Amino acid sequence: MERDVTPPPDVSCTALAKTFEGGTRAVDPIDLTFEEGQTTALVGPSGCGKSTLLRMVAGLDTPTSGTVEIGGAPPVSTLRQAGLSMAFQDPSLLPWRTVRGNIELALKLARHRADPAEIDQLIALVGLDGFAETRPAELSGGMRQRAAIARALATRPGLLLLDEPFGAVDELTRRQLSQDLPRIWEARGTTAILVTHSVSEAVQLSDRVIVLSPRPATIMDDITIDLPRPRAGPAARSDAATALTDRVFAALSKGMAERSAPMAAQ
Amino acid sequence: MTSLTIHRPIGPAIERRSRAALGPVVGLLVLLAGWEAAGRLLTEAFVLAAPSEVARYLAAEWALMGRALGVTLTNAAAGFVIGNLAAVLLAAVALVWPRSEGVITGLALLVFCLPLVATGPILRVLFGPGPGPQITLAALAVYYTTLIPLLIGLRAAPQSWFDLVRSYGRGRLSTLVHVRAMASLPYLFAGLQIAAPAAFLGAMVGEFTGAQRGMGVLTVRAIRALDVEMTWAIATLATLVSVAVYLAIGAVARRVLLDEPPVILSAPAVTGRRRRRDGWIDASLVLALALGGWAGALWLFDLNPFFAKGPHDVVEALFLAPDAAATRATIGAALAETAIFLIPGYLAGLLAGAALAMLLILVPVLAGTAMPVAIALRSVPIVTTAPLVVLLIGRGALGTIVLVAVMVFFPTFVACLQGLRQAPGQVMSVLDSYAAGPLTRLVRVRIPAMLPAFFAAARMAVPASVLAVTVVEWLATGAGIGSLMALSASLSDYDVLWASVVLVAALSALGYVLVGRVERRVLAIYAPEQLA
Repeated sequence: MERDVTPPPDVSCTALAKTFEGGTRAVDPIDLTFEEGQTTALVGPSGCGKSTLLRMVAGLDTPTSGTVEIGGAPPVSTLRQAGLSMAFQDPSLLPWRTVRGNIELALKLARHRADPAEIDQLIALVGLDGFAETRPAELSGGMRQRAAIARALATRPGLLLLDEPFGAVDELTRRQLSQDLPRIWEARGTTAILVTHSVSEAVQLSDRVIVLSPRPATIMDDITIDLPRPRAGPAARSDAATALTDRVFAALSKGMAERSAPMAAQ
Repeated sequence: MTSLTIHRPIGPAIERRSRAALGPVVGLLVLLAGWEAAGRLLTEAFVLAAPSEVARYLAAEWALMGRALGVTLTNAAAGFVIGNLAAVLLAAVALVWPRSEGVITGLALLVFCLPLVATGPILRVLFGPGPGPQITLAALAVYYTTLIPLLIGLRAAPQSWFDLVRSYGRGRLSTLVHVRAMASLPYLFAGLQIAAPAAFLGAMVGEFTGAQRGMGVLTVRAIRALDVEMTWAIATLATLVSVAVYLAIGAVARRVLLDEPPVILSAPAVTGRRRRRDGWIDASLVLALALGGWAGALWLFDLNPFFAKGPHDVVEALFLAPDAAATRATIGAALAETAIFLIPGYLAGLLAGAALAMLLILVPVLAGTAMPVAIALRSVPIVTTAPLVVLLIGRGALGTIVLVAVMVFFPTFVACLQGLRQAPGQVMSVLDSYAAGPLTRLVRVRIPAMLPAFFAAARMAVPASVLAVTVVEWLATGAGIGSLMALSASLSDYDVLWASVVLVAALSALGYVLVGRVERRVLAIYAPEQLA
């Protein structure tokens, strides 16, 4: 029983910049367009401002200058229609609600009807069978993150924002999730933006990888990933995959070198 | 995170439960045995009634005691409800209009610092006979200790929970319903737990001022008659009731929260990143509103000017009237006399609380036993035991000092023990890896970890110790500002009474703020995250 899916929007950032109150420049004016129905990864070193970029897209942080448009409208209107969901770095599960309760709350907030069978499916998909009625305090860090991902998917958002969603997930589970999860949002045609500092994760999950420099973030490279899916297992070790991974690494190193050069000169 | 000095019990639930069950039982047995032995030894001295004698007395006089207890409980319950509703309302205003929080907490503190000893008689004149003053004093005794945890609780959620609600396009109402209300529940319950015995104490103090029935009336009668058994019976009954209510609210909290409520030590001094300028503006606003509200209330209720003095009357009495110098000298002498009891008692209570907590942490078995007993005893309305202390130690300076010290001791001890046990596990593991002994661990890690709790307790102990000293002076020793206020009330010397109330409240609030200043200095070094 398919419910109406919010049509996947494109997201365009125009001269988007953020300077924090203390004067720290998190993001320098940046122009970026995320194509509708695509999965785009933002890759950069820790603290480069990629999370800030994502929060501005989500309408949670106000840009210092520049604009964000989701499907041609400001983020506020997307928010109002509950057309996006975000999985935060910190799983942000409410401790007094069970895994199911947390998912139900998201549905309630997004004004969606809760379908118990569908929630069960999602819980199973992220590998939390048998933990639906468990409270977050009794879950491991990785399990909590998986619950948070399930919650983000539950509202069938047109735009899915993932901020380091697999940070605390162990390697093996992460591999499994990287295979299973994109299937869901790709089948729905969701526009997804993934922030990560894992190069292999970015190459494996996305249609496009944008490499950012250290703070303030500027675009070092914009790489289209046209590998066939599924990309796990042997496919991840193909020549094409290796070449793309190398290219991402090269852009990252270049960014690091450029940013540290002026400091070394002082 | 919000700055907190609130700690959740650590460790798995099952271990906690078995320890919680065993600890108090052992502790209580030791306490009872010691008490009984002392009572038997001191039979001739007429100062101490053993538990068996108290039990016998209670059984024989149950009709009288039960009726008094019922009256006091009813008044305390009414005050409890009113005071806590006021706290919730004030917290709601502060939440809706954040800029008002500084003024609300400032005014609340000032009202909380009003000496019950003097507000009692004033309320008695205002209300006449009946339960009005008792209920009002009970409400006044509880609202502050509920308001402050509630204010913390309403903000005690990580930013990302609020982001989550916003990311689904929902606003402040959803945040309140789904995040803030739930997150503040443990804090609310912890506040209510402290409030319940405080309400009982407030009602009793209200009954001291010429009520017809109640535990407070019996207390006054017992002191006048020097009835040792009755005095001890009243104190025991008050203690049992307070502990029972404390435990009952804890049990309800566990049902609702599926977890222990956090132990509230007390609130941080000042909220986060406020600018100094805001602090001064708030302080001036608090002062203006307090004076305006005071004068306004007199005008609104059209009170008899002979009795009801306004701000200008107090200024006149203290500075302009022909006998202003004499008035100042009288009040000054009384304040100085009180300070001689208050300051040593306050410091002794703080030191004893911290020292015993440190000693116990070196002997973990003892700490496990003493902790639940101390938490429960903290809920004892110490002031109701004032006559006992006077019986035991006499009406001299020592008795008063000891009582103040006891009043300060229990909250400090509980806070420090919590703080000491709070030491970050990972840092402790680092010390373990260097095979550091228990003393090194205490000095290097535990004491710094204890400081925030210690100072929070020291701050809250300021109004508490003022309450204790004034009540003892009033009921027993007949010296100092407490006695002066009682005396001027009975002599209808309302100029002196109102001036004393103003000075005591102002000094008490000032002491609170000063300890808060020291606290901020220390926390900036040892616990910077608490000021963030």
